[in-house]
Order: sequence, then structure tokens, then C-alpha cells
Amino acid sequence: MTGSKMAGDAEIDFLGLTHELETQELEAPGGVGSPQLYGQLLTLYLLKNDLCNAKFLWKRIPQSVKSGNGELSLIWVVGQHMWQRDYPGVYEALRKDWSESIRPIMSALSESVRKQALNLVRLAYSSINVDEFAVFMGLPVAEAKQAALSEGWTLDSQARFLTPKKPEPVLSATLPNEQHLSVLTDYVSFLEN
Amino acid sequence: MAAALEQYVTTVQTLSNQGNYTTLVEFIAKNMDMLGKNAAHLDNVLATLDYQQHSIGVLGILVIKYSVPNITDFETLFVQTQEFVTSCNGEQVRYAPDNFAELCHKFASQLVERKQPTRGLAILTQAIQKIQLHPAQLTSIHSDLCQLCLLSKNMKPALRILDADITEISREGGHYDAKDFLLYFYYGGMIYTALKNYSRALYFFEMAVTTPSMAVSHIMMEAYKKFILVALIVQGKIPTLPKYAPQVVPRYIKPLCQAYHDLANAYGTNNPAEVRTAVTKHTETFTRDNNMGLVKQCVTSMYKKNIQRLTKTFLTLSLTDMANRVQLSGPREAEKYVLHMIEDGEIFATINQKDGMVRFHDNPEKYNSSSMLLELDKEMQKCMKMDEKLREMDREIAVNPQYVQKVSGAHDEDMPASTSKNQGF
Repeated sequence: MTGSKMAGDAEIDFLGLTHELETQELEAPGGVGSPQLYGQLLTLYLLKNDLCNAKFLWKRIPQSVKSGNGELSLIWVVGQHMWQRDYPGVYEALRKDWSESIRPIMSALSESVRKQALNLVRLAYSSINVDEFAVFMGLPVAEAKQAALSEGWTLDSQARFLTPKKPEPVLSATLPNEQHLSVLTDYVSFLEN
Repeated sequence: MAAALEQYVTTVQTLSNQGNYTTLVEFIAKNMDMLGKNAAHLDNVLATLDYQQHSIGVLGILVIKYSVPNITDFETLFVQTQEFVTSCNGEQVRYAPDNFAELCHKFASQLVERKQPTRGLAILTQAIQKIQLHPAQLTSIHSDLCQLCLLSKNMKPALRILDADITEISREGGHYDAKDFLLYFYYGGMIYTALKNYSRALYFFEMAVTTPSMAVSHIMMEAYKKFILVALIVQGKIPTLPKYAPQVVPRYIKPLCQAYHDLANAYGTNNPAEVRTAVTKHTETFTRDNNMGLVKQCVTSMYKKNIQRLTKTFLTLSLTDMANRVQLSGPREAEKYVLHMIEDGEIFATINQKDGMVRFHDNPEKYNSSSMLLELDKEMQKCMKMDEKLREMDREIAVNPQYVQKVSGAHDEDMPASTSKNQGF
């Protein structure tokens, strides 16, 4: 039901869907939900990088449901690799032909994992071997190199090490002055009392 | 016999319609025995009452139905309970909070016994919302919900109630027990630990450990063990307990948790080998207490703490050097630790793979952004709310007749003695 609704929509409200599925699980007769419900919820937790809740969901799915639906174990393989922060393992596990109901969530997950990897390398390395960077990104070396250069990163003379470009600090908008002042007035009157 | 039941129905209907709930509650308390003797006919009685209009009367019957030693038709009872919790009148049942809580306890323990904890989650969540006067009020049903969450491995339903800070306890007609209080904080701590929210878990275990007490409670002792382990993960040492912690903790509980203190002492040396020795020595105890998983997390956390300590001494350090200093297997493992710690925001550093060095940075937070201001704002609001709450509670105590009598009575006798007594308490 939800699956067909989702497949049509390009923009999916993942958070709303998560809440909906959580409620459905609690209200499922006898406390056992459908394999589709478990599959979607598990993938959504992974997408949110909420590995603790994903782990507990996997643990509470009844054995009969797990053995009746092979895809659930495949989803959890992705989760296990994410838990170990094993990026090559995650990419490998993601490369499956997922069923209709979870395909959109899975493709969002692939994208977010790759983005996460890129951000992590940018944050944690001042120079990184091109081959290792490719492993992080789950891309062939040439493509990874291209992706890095398009981000404005630089390659050293032997073309072996990449230097990530650090993100510019984002200057967030300031609060309106009047509001600011009234908040501060409240504080001072509180502290003085 | 049947006449007595008919009498019950009529009285419930009349008093409910009159809105005379206090009398009704007294009437039901007196008739519990009679209902127990007529257990076989209770379903007929239920059929004549309306769940919403006669909530207190229905509640009395359901409680009796759960008291039967062998419940034969649990499915019917489950549906009745579910329907009752969904449709009962909140205003009415708040006149009988003790019965309501008892119903929930028995319902929960039936589910635990039947190994179907999942089925109770939605119902108990709703029950708590119905009976609470406000979200900051703790009821004895809280601990039931937490227990079912743990057993069904579904932590999320409990989070909504756990995240609310408690400022008041529902007395439930004097039936609220210390056990419910301890269990709530013990289970709550376990739930936060499971979700790796260690600092909140530590707070919950501390609440359980510092509950005023004259006798040793097993719940408190188990909470104390987990308190030590979580404290090691969060702070790297056992924090000193606040002054109001009961004397039983140092006197009786500590000596019973020697294994955990050994581990903490080994942790204090910052030497992985010593910690491993302590773990090996007490493996049996840790496994028996079901704490082995947490103990392993402690070991990992020590490597991290040691790496964090390096940032205080060095500006740059080679990965090989780091591996030697914190006793990791080699530069690869050191790099992995550093990478994970950077990802989790536990240190600020960059790795240079070209020359195999790590450079440590200061915290990039300059405390000058507007998001930081918002954060501060939130904290300030919290403090202001707490201040207000404290004043309110203080006022309540100040006008409490018993308190006033005690204070003025003490004044008459002997001032110094009374102050020292107060301190002791």
C-alpha cells in the first residue's frame, strides 16, 4: 500500500514514513508485522544512520519472518558493514536488486553513504592516497580522482596523494537585534533575582 | 449472589451518572471480595456497563479478572483491557489511580509471562498518557512500559516518557512503591545504554543509586554496577557520589561489587594490559551479571581516552608512535581509531597519509555563531524553568502543615540538635 504510493513520488517524506511504520508495527495484530514493513523500517533506520535502532529492529523481527523473506537479511548485511564502518563492504552489500518497496530508500542510502564518506575524508585527512580514497568512495580510481578534483581538491606531482579542500566555515544568519535584546533582558532580570 | 452483582451494576451506574466518583471508589474497594467470589459471572457484568461512562466500575472488574490464579481466556481479557484503556474516561480513572496502576502491572506481567511483550507497548503508552496529570509526572506504570520495551527489544516507545524530566510522583493512593521508582531509573538507564546515549544513562543509574534508602536493594546494586561501567565509558573514572547518596552504598553495596572496582582501578592506570588482566580475572562475574558487553565497551573507551590524552601533549605525532604509546597493533589500527574518533567528534585532528602523521587541532568551536547562541538560549530556558519549579516546590513544602509543625516543634526544644538531625537526613 505504502509501497505503491512511494514509488510514484520523487520526493518522499522519509521521517513521516518512519513514524507511520513505527506505529504500524506497534499496532500489528499479535505484535508481528509484515516483511515489507520490517524491510522498509530497517532501511529507513540505516538511512538515518540510526544503527542502534536498526540493530534492535533486526533482533526483534521474528525468525519465521526472516526465513520467509531473504531480502531482510540482505538489508541487515548493509547494516552490519555500516556498524563496522567498513565502506567497501557497505558498497558491496548495497549493490543488489532491491524490491520495489525499498528501492527508493536504498538509492537514497547509497547516496548518503557516499556523501558521508566524502565529508569524513574531507574532515579527517590533510592528504590521502588516491587508491584509499577510491575505496572510501566505492568508485574506480579514475572516477574517484575525477570526483575529488571537481570538489576543488588538489593532486600532488606524482598523482598519488590528494589534498582535500577544507569546507569554508558557514556564516549563519544573525538574529534580529530587537529579539536578541529582549531575550538578553529576560536573562539579566532572571540572573539578578 | 447474583443479587449482589446486580446491586454492583446499579450502584456503579447511579454514582457514575451523578458524578459522585469518590463515593464510587469507596464502594468498589468494599466490594472487591464480593467480585472475587463471583469471578465466573464478571463478563456478564461487563456487558451491562459502558467503558467510557462507567470507567471506574469496569476498572474494578478488570482488576479482579486479572487476580484469578489461572487466567484461562487471556485473549478476551487482552481485548477487554485494550478497549478499556482506549476508551476509558481519563477524568474518572484518575479517581482510582491505584486500581488503574494495578491493572497495568498485572497486564504487563501477564504479557511477560506469556512472552508477548510487544503487544503491550501501545496500550501502556496510552495508559500512561491517560492517567498522568502532566508529562513530568512519574507513575508506577512507567517502569512496566520500560520493562516491556527492553524485553521486546523495541526501545523507541519508552523514549518519549524517558526524555521528559520528572518533577512529580503520582502517589496512587499511597500504593506507589520504592521498587517502581528504582526500576524506572534502572530500566531507563538500560534503555539509554542500549541506544548508546551514555551520559543520559549515567544520570538514570545515578538516580537509582542515590535514592534514599536504609536497606540494600538488589535493583540498586545492579544499577550501581552499571553505573560504574557507564561512568568509565563517559568520564573514564568513577565519579564521587553526591552527599545525599544513602550510606548503604559505601557500606554494603560497594564491597559486593569488588570486581567492578577492580576494573575501575585498572582503568585508572591507563594501561590496557592491566585492564585486560582485570577483565580476564572477573570474566565469570561480568558474564553472570550480563554486563560483559558493557565491559568490552569500557576497554575500547580506554584506548580512546588514551588517544585523547595524547592531544594534550603533542601537536603532531606519527601513527606508528601513537600505536606504540597507546599499545595498538600498528599504524593501521591507530589510523582507524583516530578516524572513528574524528567522525564521532571525540577529537579534532587531521591525518596526513603522505608522511603518516596526525596533527591535533583545538576545538574549532569559537562560541561566536548564532547557532551557539541558540544552544545557550535553550540551556538558559531550561535553567529558568528549573528555578521556577524549585521555588514552587519549596513553597509547597513551606506551607505543608506537617513540615511547619515539625520545624516549629524542633525550635522549642533544642536548636543545634535539630540542625544536625536535618543534616543527617
